[in-house]
Amino acid sequence: MGAFAMTLDYDAELMLRVRDGDGASFGVLLEKHRTSVVHFLYRMVQNYAVAEELAQEVFLRVYRSRESYEASAKFTTWLFRIATHLALNALRDGKNERLQERLDNESPDMPARQVSDARPTVEQRMVYQVRLDEVRRAVATLPEKQRAAVLMHKYQEMEYSQIAKVLSCSESAVKSLLFRAYETLRARLAHMA
Amino acid sequence: MNCPMEARQGSELLLEYTAGRLEAGEASALEVHMESCARCREFAQSQEMLWQALEGWEAEPVSMDFDRRLFARIAQAPASWWTRLTGQVMHHAVPVAAAAGVMILAGVMLERPAVTPVTPPAQSAQVETLGPEQVQSALDDMEMLRDFNHLVRPDNAEPRM
Repeated sequence: MGAFAMTLDYDAELMLRVRDGDGASFGVLLEKHRTSVVHFLYRMVQNYAVAEELAQEVFLRVYRSRESYEASAKFTTWLFRIATHLALNALRDGKNERLQERLDNESPDMPARQVSDARPTVEQRMVYQVRLDEVRRAVATLPEKQRAAVLMHKYQEMEYSQIAKVLSCSESAVKSLLFRAYETLRARLAHMA
Repeated sequence: MNCPMEARQGSELLLEYTAGRLEAGEASALEVHMESCARCREFAQSQEMLWQALEGWEAEPVSMDFDRRLFARIAQAPASWWTRLTGQVMHHAVPVAAAAGVMILAGVMLERPAVTPVTPPAQSAQVETLGPEQVQSALDDMEMLRDFNHLVRPDNAEPRM
């Protein structure tokens, strides 16, 4: 709880400084949350270029909203609320309409994927790629809110209460979303065990 | 310990266990229970497998020029109505004030051409905030005044600027 409060205070304090005209504090917030926002959006839309474009929009909106910012909620809740909103809109607008194409045929403009082994064999790389594609496909087939909930729970390590605030629903609704999402993923990826 | 799978929030407890988010006491109690409960054990194993699969999904590093592009967009982004209003006022006021300052400064120097080199007084702060076009405009004005000085005082040496 102490760490939670400290995080809340620190990020919110930085944002309040941004509101008061301290551009350097915006840089600190950007440095701190840039990667998590981009990665969350990438896993949501599964298109690297779109994810970065959306992440730019997230931070642009944060900056534009600085004058009206009030530290009434945890900063990351606000940040991921904006990110989720933009991701859901992008998915509905078909901004990532090439998603399936990219999943089927990796785009050359995407960076080469890294594997944990520094010198993987060709076979290891192929196995890794196949498993990765299966995971990506399984996540992509989840309904949008379930997908967002899983990504925030698994990769951002958010509490149910925070996910609920981001998705504007109750905690019990989040638990239900996660239960159904994990159930689907376990079934789809059971053969990978 | 009662079987979590039979409790209302059972799956939640098991999910948190596999995520490593349970407190040590709760985790130990659950592990003891799972030794004799195949249903919970299977659930935990399949969920752990899923988490491992998800952990293998590494995201690419963020582009090196992400910040540069963002700050460029921020610089281009339309400002608030107040900023726009004050910006418009300043847009017109600053060049006028700078030009007036230059004219006054030049006038003073023309009247006293032999004074020691001038260090720009109060106007310097304003000049520093001007855009390149405005600075160029001010320099053009100064050049024009210098030429004008030659015309009206052909026998005089070039005024020290």
